[in-house]
Amino acid sequence: MAAKKLRRARLSQELCERLSRHQITTCQDFLCLSLLELMKVTGQSYYNVQKLLCQVSRACAPKMQTAYEMKLRKSGNPSSAFLSTTLPSLDEVLHGGVSCGSLTEVTGPPGCGKTQLCIMLSVLATLPVSMGGLDGAVIYIDTESAFSAERLIEIASNRFPTYFDSDEKLFCMTSSIHLYRELTCSSVLKRIMSLEEEIISKKVKLIIIDSVASVVRKEFDTKLQGNLAERSNFLARGASVLKYLAEEFSIPV
Amino acid sequence: MQRDVGSLPLAPALRARLVAAGFQTAQELLETGPCGLSKEIGISKEEALEALQVVRQECHGDAARTTGGSGTTRKCTALELLEEEQAQGFIITFCSALDNILGGGVQLRKITEICGAPGVGKTQLCMQLAVDVQIPECFGGVAGEAVFIDTEGSFMVDRVVDIATACVQHCQLIAEAHQEEDHLKAMESFSLESVLSHIYYFRCHDYVELLAQVYLLPDFLSEHSKVRLVVVDGIAFPFRHDFEDLSLRTRLLNGLAQQLIIIANDHKAAVVLTNQMTTRIGQSQSTLVPALGESWGHAATVRLIFHWDNSQRLATLYKSPSQKESTIPYHITPHGFRDVQAPAATQNAQGTEMNPRKRPRREEQEL
Repeated sequence: MAAKKLRRARLSQELCERLSRHQITTCQDFLCLSLLELMKVTGQSYYNVQKLLCQVSRACAPKMQTAYEMKLRKSGNPSSAFLSTTLPSLDEVLHGGVSCGSLTEVTGPPGCGKTQLCIMLSVLATLPVSMGGLDGAVIYIDTESAFSAERLIEIASNRFPTYFDSDEKLFCMTSSIHLYRELTCSSVLKRIMSLEEEIISKKVKLIIIDSVASVVRKEFDTKLQGNLAERSNFLARGASVLKYLAEEFSIPV
Repeated sequence: MQRDVGSLPLAPALRARLVAAGFQTAQELLETGPCGLSKEIGISKEEALEALQVVRQECHGDAARTTGGSGTTRKCTALELLEEEQAQGFIITFCSALDNILGGGVQLRKITEICGAPGVGKTQLCMQLAVDVQIPECFGGVAGEAVFIDTEGSFMVDRVVDIATACVQHCQLIAEAHQEEDHLKAMESFSLESVLSHIYYFRCHDYVELLAQVYLLPDFLSEHSKVRLVVVDGIAFPFRHDFEDLSLRTRLLNGLAQQLIIIANDHKAAVVLTNQMTTRIGQSQSTLVPALGESWGHAATVRLIFHWDNSQRLATLYKSPSQKESTIPYHITPHGFRDVQAPAATQNAQGTEMNPRKRPRREEQEL
């Protein structure tokens, strides 16, 4: 949205050319300038510049929706609002399960079961909707190499023996879980940025990142100066992209 | 009429030409007329006419200002302000201790900033306020609508449904207890659906969308004149990453603050912002301070800081022009933002609107 070219904001051709001479090509550049600078750069009067500002803002402002519309949309398909974890007390505390459309974070000391929970959620996501699943593929970004496919099959066959009664079904399930091993921060970020197309093409319904902390702590030593800013930069960028993906596709992350 | 040509809101190139041709005051321009102007400066007659119309508009605005007529200046006596402030309502938060330290609730026409660590309840309070602003006037509310600008994506509709249901039920109980005409009439229009449909939600993904939305807000508020609350949930989040140029960030934030103040004053609305906390590393220890730097601290009129003390949530009034600094505990319950309950809850069915917690609560669990 921010990188939208001014041409597409329906400004006149000559105005766009004039602005590009000052290196202002996107809405972002336009809105970052103050009114006086805009007057100088466009050569227009004060009122005209205000009108232009409104025009450009309209091009990149978000759409309005009332809370009521959002509620109607959610209650329209209640099964897709949450991914139930099949643990009744956990589901009750989470008000239904892992919520679709937002980020959920699982933290804890080593060995307490976070990766196991992630593996189980991957199995649950591939189940059909009638059994409480999301009937879709899973993207699993593994930074610790802790994912074990055998454990996956073990969980699936022991938990849902009636459903996974044939090897074929097991293979089908495992082939819809896409595993990516990333070992550095920058590769994790690159992978997250490239997820949008994969989600659409593979019909992904769940994204798991296991774990963010390990790769960040490996690379950024907080005792060194300047690393704190870089680290928070990386985390914030990753977080905003993930939030956007979660909301856009209404999937849990 | 003696206004200097250099200060008129014309295009810079045109201004430069006028000054070069020797024009000094606006009066001279108006006397010359469009044809004379076009000949002297070398611009077309249409351009000259346009420029003269702008000048005339400006001078009329000036004249009106000097006679104190039009409402473009915002001057009035302190007595008028006092009357206004006493007449205007507050947006209650349903937590009477918090309302008390704020002097009645969130004030209209002021910017209130809520800072706190993650998970302490800032978004909860914003959602509570978005519901509370719609309480009808006979129950002590402001009867307005709310604009919710979300940059972090933490707005959960289901939670707002819970909070709104509790609020509507509460007002229902008061109406039934008092059995007055206007109470019952107000309850007809104050229902869950109406509360939800008067919360206008915008989701901004980065700071450019936020800037664009704030530029468009005055027009939106003129169309929806009943809006009395603008919430920006997470003003720090889009500005904290991807910004190498800190001076640009400060400039944009100051511009944003200015526009929000203008919006708050012109449309009689309360503006509530939420901010994050950052660590300031001192000589021997590090403290948590509100994010976005010192200069941002001047933008908000009232500053609330939420923090934890073991497992109790506390709210501190950090900056306020009229109230003193104090700290109170609060709870977040399934019904929303509430006071900490004293062990023996008083049963008083005729609680006033400003102390709603006196309603007996039987099954209430803490979140």
